[in-house]
Amino acid sequence: MSHIEEIPCFQVLSSVVFIIEGAIEQAENPRAITSHLNNCLPCQSEVAHEQAMHTLLQDVLRRSCDEKAPEDLHRSIHEELLKQAQGGASVTEVVTQFSMTEISIEIDEFGNVEHREIQIEQTHIQHFIDDEE
Amino acid sequence: MASKDLVLENATDRNARFERDALVFMDALYAAALRYTRNPDDARDLLQDTYLKAFNSFHQFQEGTNLRAWLYRVLTTTFINSYRKDQRRPQLASGELEDWQIAEAQSHTSDLGKSAEAEALENLPDSDIKRALHEIPEEFRIAVYLADVEGFSYKEIADIVDVPAGTVMSRLHRGRKLLREKLSDYAKELGYSTESKKGKGEKL
Repeated sequence: MSHIEEIPCFQVLSSVVFIIEGAIEQAENPRAITSHLNNCLPCQSEVAHEQAMHTLLQDVLRRSCDEKAPEDLHRSIHEELLKQAQGGASVTEVVTQFSMTEISIEIDEFGNVEHREIQIEQTHIQHFIDDEE
Repeated sequence: MASKDLVLENATDRNARFERDALVFMDALYAAALRYTRNPDDARDLLQDTYLKAFNSFHQFQEGTNLRAWLYRVLTTTFINSYRKDQRRPQLASGELEDWQIAEAQSHTSDLGKSAEAEALENLPDSDIKRALHEIPEEFRIAVYLADVEGFSYKEIADIVDVPAGTVMSRLHRGRKLLREKLSDYAKELGYSTESKKGKGEKL
């Protein structure tokens, strides 16, 4: 069996977010954390507290952040989308633009500076005509 | 074959599919927009823009993948690109808070402190919860909101916000910590004590 490194409490406590997110394997040294937790009552109680506080925090956040979009906003978005659908929606235009600037500066042994700038641009437009029935 | 069907879908069908599948998230997205922008007028505009963008790029959405996560991605990207009040403020650097895990000395808290914190949190009014969320930095606020209100996993959030998963972890850790500190301060103002020595509800 390979040796498991011993780590201090603060390293375990600072990895609590990984435990809460169910991703302890993403933390640094997950085996050492698990092994420490199995043997340290104060850390066990701290992790339990953090998990309870996290659940509580989620509850109060969800309770507070439950606003509904106003009725007129529902309507205006709906109407806007209808307008879009009737407008230019029969053609889909996909525009792809590339732009790249290459800058090089060379200084030779006499101190002469040579400065070059190359700009490369490309625009690619595709039209897809949707079938109208 | 599903992929073939998608290609053959015409605009009318696609629009109908959008109306059917995407509009049901409007209330939830509005609540998120309110937290992002921190005011109802901007939240309305952000929601309008989000739906317009989503509608016009819906052909890029892959059916069968998570539409809700995709819509939050459109919302978040739109917000970051156009609605941030402090556009000039530099974004947290990409190597942000690499050493967040060791930067702060973590120690055990007393049992009394624990129960007092829980009690204070439970009794705070909704307005204080929202105020606290609004006061923590934007990057933290978005990560915490997506994780703890919307229930997205840290991996999904990494995709929505377009940052590495490790950065999401650090934002969640720091954001939640800041949030709890703020809430604990408000609780003290209301007369709840989160100090371990004081009893519950004792006035300071």
